[in-house]
Amino acid sequence: MSDPDVSWGEMKKKFFSKQLLAGLPLWKVLNDKRTLYSFELESTARCNLDCRHCYINLPAGDLEAKKNELSVEEITHIAGEATSLGAIWCLLTGGEPLLRKDFFAIYLALKKKGLLVSIFTNATLVTPEHIRFFMKYPPRNIEITVYGITRATYEEVTRKPGSYHAFRRGLDLLTEAGIPVTLKAMALRSNIHEMPEIIRFCRKSNAESFRFDPFLHLRYDGNPARNLEIIAERLSPEEVVALEKSYPPRFEALKKNCETLIHPDFKKVTSNRLFRCGIGDGNFCISYNGIFRFCSTLWHPDCVSDLRKGGVADAWNTLFGKVRSMESTRQEFTNNCRICSIKNLCTWCPANAYLETGQLDSLVDTFCRLAYAREKSLKN
Amino acid sequence: MIKKVNLDLVYIPSQDVVAREIEGVVIIVPIVSGIADIEDELFTLNETGKAIWQQLDGKKKLGEIIKSMAKKFSATPGEIREDVLGLTSELLRRRIIVKTPGGQD
Repeated sequence: MSDPDVSWGEMKKKFFSKQLLAGLPLWKVLNDKRTLYSFELESTARCNLDCRHCYINLPAGDLEAKKNELSVEEITHIAGEATSLGAIWCLLTGGEPLLRKDFFAIYLALKKKGLLVSIFTNATLVTPEHIRFFMKYPPRNIEITVYGITRATYEEVTRKPGSYHAFRRGLDLLTEAGIPVTLKAMALRSNIHEMPEIIRFCRKSNAESFRFDPFLHLRYDGNPARNLEIIAERLSPEEVVALEKSYPPRFEALKKNCETLIHPDFKKVTSNRLFRCGIGDGNFCISYNGIFRFCSTLWHPDCVSDLRKGGVADAWNTLFGKVRSMESTRQEFTNNCRICSIKNLCTWCPANAYLETGQLDSLVDTFCRLAYAREKSLKN
Repeated sequence: MIKKVNLDLVYIPSQDVVAREIEGVVIIVPIVSGIADIEDELFTLNETGKAIWQQLDGKKKLGEIIKSMAKKFSATPGEIREDVLGLTSELLRRRIIVKTPGGQD
């Protein structure tokens, strides 16, 4: 294994080093090739809240959903396959992942594969037992969405009396224990009046990493009644633009990148390829019942794989080629989205188009209007 | 606190870490708190560090590992001994390796 002529003195220098995660030279190597480095696991679609805008939640007591959830053994196997392909990070999300009685077992199974595990949670179910557990087995990060900072607004969104108090208690337990927490926000019809206060509250915790999302995509399960509720929560394009303008870090970033966001050269695109994003480049998502997707919102049946029938490696390698090569020659796509110079300001993508219309290549008027509004505000 | 390793003892990777090899680099990922100095730290081993790590299989005494490394590299036995002891002491201090059950100092 070694060359006796190689200096021991040279080689020993870098035997063992400790480095900050962000500075590992490994990331450059991984960026230069298609390598899996992270995956999301929706350990359950069930949730103890009932947020108006939610694209995934099923009732906490949904027995059918619970019965179909991946077991700890299945998750352990999937995590093993993922780490064999190179995955380093795992995002444990839901639904509400703490709802699962075997949450600790799932979390440890992921950690014991050598994954850096982050968690998305609403924090309402956090208990002192969770704190003791996280202090012993620290997560990479815990992200919590702040739906409101008054009981009235928070519970208008979640539709669960008592949830605001539970959220504040859970958040306090985590922060007092020094567990890393990142707060974020969703901009909704039900909380837009409180957004400045919500933003201030979140930024007190994590000013640099704070983000908010004004875009609500539709349900993964296509539930029509729930979709109407989501649409009712959507802000108008003008409201989105006004909100983005009122938040300097976001608006300055949009202005700074204006030249790449508004791209006249897109009009010259001739390729009919549907997916022009980084889909499948480093990440995948798994649903509570084992459905593999390259993107959490991509649910078209030709773009998913059932991990209870096939393995992760097969989906990662074989399905990738199929999805990336999908094309459309429909005029609605070729004459519009394919060559749109402001597509980078738009929330259109095949996945979102499918959730909106049932087709991967449809124009979505709602998205167009937001993109035009953003273009106008940037040019002004 | 400096933890001294013992040449007559056998050491193995702790169950509180997971060693991952990615693109030829061994990354040691802590499972529990208190191993890294700060949360955002990971530990990496280069090829030689990996070679030593792979010898910590729970079967060979540390002294035997040093002799094995001395045969493979051209440095003086004293230098290799000092460096391997330094590396394993650091790994032991950080609880990345532990002595096998039943081992006594």
